Amino acid sequence: MNYVFQFNVVWDHFPELLHGARLTIQLSAMAMALGLCLAIVCAYGKSAGPKPVRWLVGFYVELIRNTPFLVQIFIIYFSLPMLGLRLTANTAALLAMTVNLGAYASEIVRAGIEAIPQGQVEAARALGLRRLQIFRFIIIFPALKTVYPALSSQFILLMLSSSVVSTISAVELTAITNSLQSTTFRSFEFYFVATGLYLVMALGFRAALGAIYWAVFQHGRAA
Amino acid sequence: MRICVRLLITVLLVAVPAMMIAAPARADSTLDKILKEKKLRVAIDVANPPFGVLDKAGEPDGSDVAVARQMAKDMGAELEFVQVPSTGRIPALLAGRADVTIASISVTADRAKAVMYCNPNGALQIVIFGPQSVAIKTPADLAGKRIGITRATLEEATVPKMASAGTDIVWFDDIGATIQALLSGQVDAVAMTSFAGKTVADGNPDKHIETKLLVTTAFYGPIVRHDDFELRQWINTWLFLNTQNGTLAAIYKKYTGIDLPVLPVF
Repeated sequence: MNYVFQFNVVWDHFPELLHGARLTIQLSAMAMALGLCLAIVCAYGKSAGPKPVRWLVGFYVELIRNTPFLVQIFIIYFSLPMLGLRLTANTAALLAMTVNLGAYASEIVRAGIEAIPQGQVEAARALGLRRLQIFRFIIIFPALKTVYPALSSQFILLMLSSSVVSTISAVELTAITNSLQSTTFRSFEFYFVATGLYLVMALGFRAALGAIYWAVFQHGRAA
Repeated sequence: MRICVRLLITVLLVAVPAMMIAAPARADSTLDKILKEKKLRVAIDVANPPFGVLDKAGEPDGSDVAVARQMAKDMGAELEFVQVPSTGRIPALLAGRADVTIASISVTADRAKAVMYCNPNGALQIVIFGPQSVAIKTPADLAGKRIGITRATLEEATVPKMASAGTDIVWFDDIGATIQALLSGQVDAVAMTSFAGKTVADGNPDKHIETKLLVTTAFYGPIVRHDDFELRQWINTWLFLNTQNGTLAAIYKKYTGIDLPVLPVF
């Protein structure tokens, strides 16, 4: 096979690819923030809530973790209009990513919560801290610190798996790459460059998450 | 030691240019390769009724598939299907995963920059479909509507050009998703071939889906890589013979329900 690479086509469309990368970053960052909130609520519900709540969270987590992401996206996007909701594809994608991350991350956060020695909680109670204060200072903060590396990996995975949301017409880097390659037919070139952009974004997210760790858990504690 | 090095340099100086000159002459063309290995690899899109579908047993079926089967049979080669989504029809060919793509690829000048067309083996119309309740009579009516189209199709090349400003066009990766978006109400209307639209309308009578607008009419044909002239010539010969003996017309009629128009050649 003698394929002649023509990267100049890609550079002509590079601003569009960058726009796609920006959309991917936006979508992923929002899903990370919302997903983490959902995960903390679920993890707390599962470790300290009443039985029905535990059962409900367990059902949600197992349902999401044992079905493909692509199918979840389809179900969310194509079944919402039946409930009278017509979201844009990007909003539906954000919802799907949040729901997906929430399930995976809640198990990670729960592992962190379970690692907190019971004695610490009892000590806090003896000192007269209230329930929410105990959760805020004694449980969730150290728990998140413990599981931070695992959470970071899950976040990066989420960013990478956002590439499949183009199937429901959501617009992000893969969608724009697909459109460009299908109109210019330089698919190798576009996919190579998109791969590079994903790599840069993943490394960027890793660095940003590292900075957040430092700011929240180390810098904040030193004082 | 020094003799060894000198010998090596001499060998390199003589042999490498010789290989470079000789190699192209000795290399088999794709047609040679197909005939030698008795295997024809055809890229098809099985999510594109009635040209390519999966039958109830999960086997490829449709007019493209029938054409590919007959072609391989006449070539005396075993047929290997390379199933691709609509976006993969040209990349699969360029990447060498298939020898030819037979997936109702409409002839366009842009696509011909990337691949080489054989003569057409069928014709299709791109139309806008939607439920009765959605009012679309002229291209101007598309404004404010959400219109679903599939990437890497003729729709993608034509609909944005005809749509009025303010049309909300959304792109799906395969026709199945586009159809699902129409049925679920995520889009107001979709653009696809008249045949695909008819299949959807017939399969979902409760949705009252009807033809709204004709976008364009086009001919489609098999495609090969740019330098595969021998293969293209064989396919054109085959198309000529099977136009003459009525095989192409019979296949087209069987799957689309209409008569094959007179096919132009180039």
